[in-house]
Amino acid sequence: MSKKQRNIIALTSAMALTFGLASNVGAMHIMEGYLPGGYCIGWGILCLPFLAAGFMSINKKLKEHRNLITLLAMSGAFVFVISSLKIPSVTGSCSHMTGTGLGAILFGPSAVSILGLIVLVFQAILLAHGGLTTIGANTFSMAIAGPFVSYGIWVICKKANINKKVAVFLAATLGDLFTYCVTAVQMAMAHHADTTIGAAMGKFLLVFAPTQVPLAIIEGIITVLIVMGLETYAKPELRSIGFLKEAK
Amino acid sequence: MITIDKLCYHSKLRYENAGEKFAFAIITLIICVMSRSIAVAGIVLLTTGILTVFKGGIPVSRYLHFLMLPLTFLILSTLAIVFNVKDAPLDLFAVSIGDWYLTASKEALFYALQLIATALSAVSCLYFLSFTTPMTDILEVLRKLHCPKLLIELMLLIYRFIFLLLTIASAISTSQDSRLGNKDYKTSLKSFAALGSVLMIRAVSRSNKLYDAMESRCYDGTLHVLSETQPPKKPVIIGIALFDILLLIFAVWRRFFS
Repeated sequence: MSKKQRNIIALTSAMALTFGLASNVGAMHIMEGYLPGGYCIGWGILCLPFLAAGFMSINKKLKEHRNLITLLAMSGAFVFVISSLKIPSVTGSCSHMTGTGLGAILFGPSAVSILGLIVLVFQAILLAHGGLTTIGANTFSMAIAGPFVSYGIWVICKKANINKKVAVFLAATLGDLFTYCVTAVQMAMAHHADTTIGAAMGKFLLVFAPTQVPLAIIEGIITVLIVMGLETYAKPELRSIGFLKEAK
Repeated sequence: MITIDKLCYHSKLRYENAGEKFAFAIITLIICVMSRSIAVAGIVLLTTGILTVFKGGIPVSRYLHFLMLPLTFLILSTLAIVFNVKDAPLDLFAVSIGDWYLTASKEALFYALQLIATALSAVSCLYFLSFTTPMTDILEVLRKLHCPKLLIELMLLIYRFIFLLLTIASAISTSQDSRLGNKDYKTSLKSFAALGSVLMIRAVSRSNKLYDAMESRCYDGTLHVLSETQPPKKPVIIGIALFDILLLIFAVWRRFFS
C-alpha cells in the first residue's frame, strides 16, 4: 500500500466514523460559543426590527382578544415539543424536526418570530441545542429567514392555485433548506481561516448536506401529512389559529 | 422527560440566589467568547465543571454525556474549517485528487482547536446555568432585568405547556407503539404525522379550557406567581466578582501582551 492509498483509507474511515457518530441530528443550531462576539451582537441587532414588529403585532392582537394568550403560548409549546420529538429517519440515527415551516404555515411569520425566539431560548437552556450567545444568529436563520421563505412560498402557491399538498411540501422543505443555507453563510462569515468567504460557505454547505438535505425532505413529507390531518379533523381549530395569522 | 430540567431541580446549588448564578454564567460566558484563547477556555471549563459536578452534585457521567451532545456539529464544522480543496498543497498535509489537493494548513488546524476549546467552555457556562437554575428562577431574573412583561408571561405559559404537551405526546406514542404503529418506515412516518396533528388539536382545546379556568379566577392580563427568592450572599458575590475580574485581566493579558 502506498502512502497515498493509506492516507485515503484513513480519511474515508475518519469520515465514516464521523457519520456513524452523527447520531443526534437536529436542526442546524449554531452551538454556544461558536461565533465571535462581534457576530453575535451583529446578528442580534439584525433580528431586532423583525422581533419588534412581531412583538407589536402580537401585543395589538392581544389587547383586542385577551383570550388568544393561551393559544399563542400553546402554539409556542407545540413548536418546541414537535422539534424535540424524535422523527423516524432512514439511517436509524435520531433526528429532529425544525418545525419552522409548520409554524409559519399555521401561525404566520410575525407570530413565529417571537415564538421562535422563546423556543430557541428554551432549546438552549433545556435541551442544549444552540446557545445564549448565538441566539441572535439562530433566531435570524430559524425564526425569521426560514419562516418568511416558507410563508412566502405558501402564499404564492395558494395564489397560483397549486395543489395544496405540493404547496405545503415546497414551503416546509425550501424553508428548511433556506435556513440551512443562511446558517452556512453565518458560519462562513465568521470562520474562513485560509480561504475566501465563498469557498468557506461551500465547505460548510457540503459538510452539512448529508444530514440536512434528507432532513428537509422528511420534514416536508411530515408537514404535509400533519397539515392534511388537521384539515380533515380540525377545521374549527384551524379557524381559531387563523386569528393569529391576521395579526400582520 | 426533559433530563436537564429534572437534574436542575435536584442540584445542590438550586437554592442559591438565582441572580448570582445568572450573572456568573453570563459574564463568564461573555469573557470566554470574547477572549477566544485556549488558556481562558481551559480555566472556565475547569471552574464551571467543578462547580456543576462537585458543588451542584450532578453525576459526572451525565455531565460528560451532555458535554458530548454538540459533538456532531463540532466535528462537522471543524472538518469544514480545517480541510480545503485547492490546486496547491498547504503546509500541514495534502492528498492529491487528480489535479487538486485535499489539504489543510497548520494555521487552520490551530484556529479550529481554539474554536473547539472556546465552544466547549462556552457550553460548560451554559450548562452551569441550566443545571443549577430552574426555568422559573431564570424568568424571575429576567423580570428584574425589565424584560418586556408580555414576553415573560408567554415564556411562563409556554414552559408550563411544554410539559402538558409532552405528557400527551408520550401517551400517544406509547399507544402507537403498542398497536404496531412503528412496524416499518412508512407506518412510522404516518404515525408521527398523526401524533403531530392530534397534538395540535389537543393543544388548541386545552388552551381554550385553560383560558376559561384563568378567567374564572379573575385573570386580568398578568399572572401572579409566588416566587421564593433566596437573599444574595455577600461572600458569593465577592467571589464571583473576583473570579470574573481576574479572568478578564488574564484574558486581556493573553490577548495583547503575550
